[in-house]
Amino acid sequence: MMLPKLTAALFFIALMLVPVLMSSDAAYAQSVRPPANAVNQPGQGPERIGTSNTLGEDSQSDYWRALRHGRSGISTSGPGGGLLIQSQGEDWRLIRKQYIIKYSGSVLIGVLALLVLFYFIRGRIRLKGGRSGKTISRFSLSHRTAHWFMASVFILLAVSGLIILLGRTVLAPLIGKTAHSIIASAAMQGHNLFGPLFIIALVWLYYMFVPGNFFKMVDLKWLLKGGGLIGGHASAGHYNFGEKVWFWAVAFGGLLISITGIILEFPWLAANLQLLQVSTIVHAVVAIGLIAFALGHIYIGTLGMEGALDSMTTGDVDINWAIEHHDLWYEEVTGKPVQADKSADNEAPGHAQVYTQSRS
Amino acid sequence: MTFLQIVEGPLFYIAAAVFVIAALWRLIGIIRIGHKADIAPPKGSATGGFIAGNLRHFVPRKSFAKRTWIHLVAGYSFHLGLFVLLLFAAPHIDFARDRIFGFDWPAMPRWGFIVAAQFAFAGLIMLWVRRFADPVMRLISDWDDHIGSWLTFLVMLTGCLALQESHDALKAIHMLFVDIWLIYFPFSRLMHALTFFLSRGYTGATYGRKGMTL
Repeated sequence: MMLPKLTAALFFIALMLVPVLMSSDAAYAQSVRPPANAVNQPGQGPERIGTSNTLGEDSQSDYWRALRHGRSGISTSGPGGGLLIQSQGEDWRLIRKQYIIKYSGSVLIGVLALLVLFYFIRGRIRLKGGRSGKTISRFSLSHRTAHWFMASVFILLAVSGLIILLGRTVLAPLIGKTAHSIIASAAMQGHNLFGPLFIIALVWLYYMFVPGNFFKMVDLKWLLKGGGLIGGHASAGHYNFGEKVWFWAVAFGGLLISITGIILEFPWLAANLQLLQVSTIVHAVVAIGLIAFALGHIYIGTLGMEGALDSMTTGDVDINWAIEHHDLWYEEVTGKPVQADKSADNEAPGHAQVYTQSRS
Repeated sequence: MTFLQIVEGPLFYIAAAVFVIAALWRLIGIIRIGHKADIAPPKGSATGGFIAGNLRHFVPRKSFAKRTWIHLVAGYSFHLGLFVLLLFAAPHIDFARDRIFGFDWPAMPRWGFIVAAQFAFAGLIMLWVRRFADPVMRLISDWDDHIGSWLTFLVMLTGCLALQESHDALKAIHMLFVDIWLIYFPFSRLMHALTFFLSRGYTGATYGRKGMTL
């Protein structure tokens, strides 16, 4: 299966982004901060004539220090209410503008390009034995409803989130500032509205799918065989290594997105401005990662692999699909070794009503 | 005349007229069908059965509740959320006062709107997902069901996207979908909102007259 390769590619892209985000030298080069020699120091520059500032002969350093570090009573309320100038805000602005906004679109387009390239090189993964006409139950109605509920909310949030993040850069030059303003306003309302539904969907999805998604030794073997791309057939249980990685990425990424989303939607919960700034960065980076991962998930579940979508539409999969991609699961639920059932396509069409998961 | 003025002015009144006339036409048509006279002596009250039949259907049968919990939760979540939004959202009350009734009633706060909208959206998405994820529902659903679901979704979505009331364009798009929805409603299965009490009542009255306990 191609999923581990896609997984590896997506993680590689994510890992590549980490050092880029950590290094901010280039960002400072384009900072709006004044250069170090912009302030005249006594004895170092031309002699000042008259008062140097609006406070007469008072020290400007003391004045700006008070503004930057806050003084009780200066301002009103909210996180950092006593702070009129927050120096870290400039770092946040630069990271957001010069890295997140600049590269997130490229990451998504890059993943799409990789998937298209992969499709043209590898083609659709077809069932070697064709469809047998016999099916086996893989996901219950509750599983499928939880999955599609999450998928619907995720797509709505992804689209509205990308408009919020990239709209000014990508949309405004194309459709004009007024039209972009309207779309951005709508996206913001939609994003805030569907955010809490994502948390409900995440809890439901986790509850339904966590059985069977813990890693086992067989997953290491599956990984070493590249999911069947190298080293022959790779055995898998109900979920293979790639599916498990995707599940835990959604679980932990979704948790991060949920926590940061709550902080952003209810900013008065944040103790200080830095927490809000870090939340916007974490929220955006994790969201882009999950969207990129989701593109691979959608590809392999639809166009990339014959028979995979059936499990999430009808809930049943062809027996040959189960044998080829999840042989250990097939053996577990049928009690029959795979070799003895290789000729499933020669048997009469039918349906086996079996589930491996405890939740239904 | 701006686009907003058209969709919340003449087009809205035309859509509302189509909605009222066509819905009444269908309701009266259903009532006029009547039923074959039952010459057996009544063993119970048909009127009581009509009322009991309507009320009984609001509570799921014990034997089905576990199997159909998604349908149950989603159904109540969507319908209650939608009715609260429709009747108690401040912009709706303002519109009803200015364009239809001439009087208003208390509106719910903004947080109430958000909570009701989330219930409504969660329910509608789950109900629609069930249409293609459940083999039986998939078999008995047709284009009318999907168009009705999507139109309702778009009306709700565009309404929530216009919540900030910062752009007339967003309000106009919402009103356009409202107009389309009003025109589509009486000719589709959305009409169940106005006919469900008749079908439940008919069954209830038949059983009630025979003295059966619902």
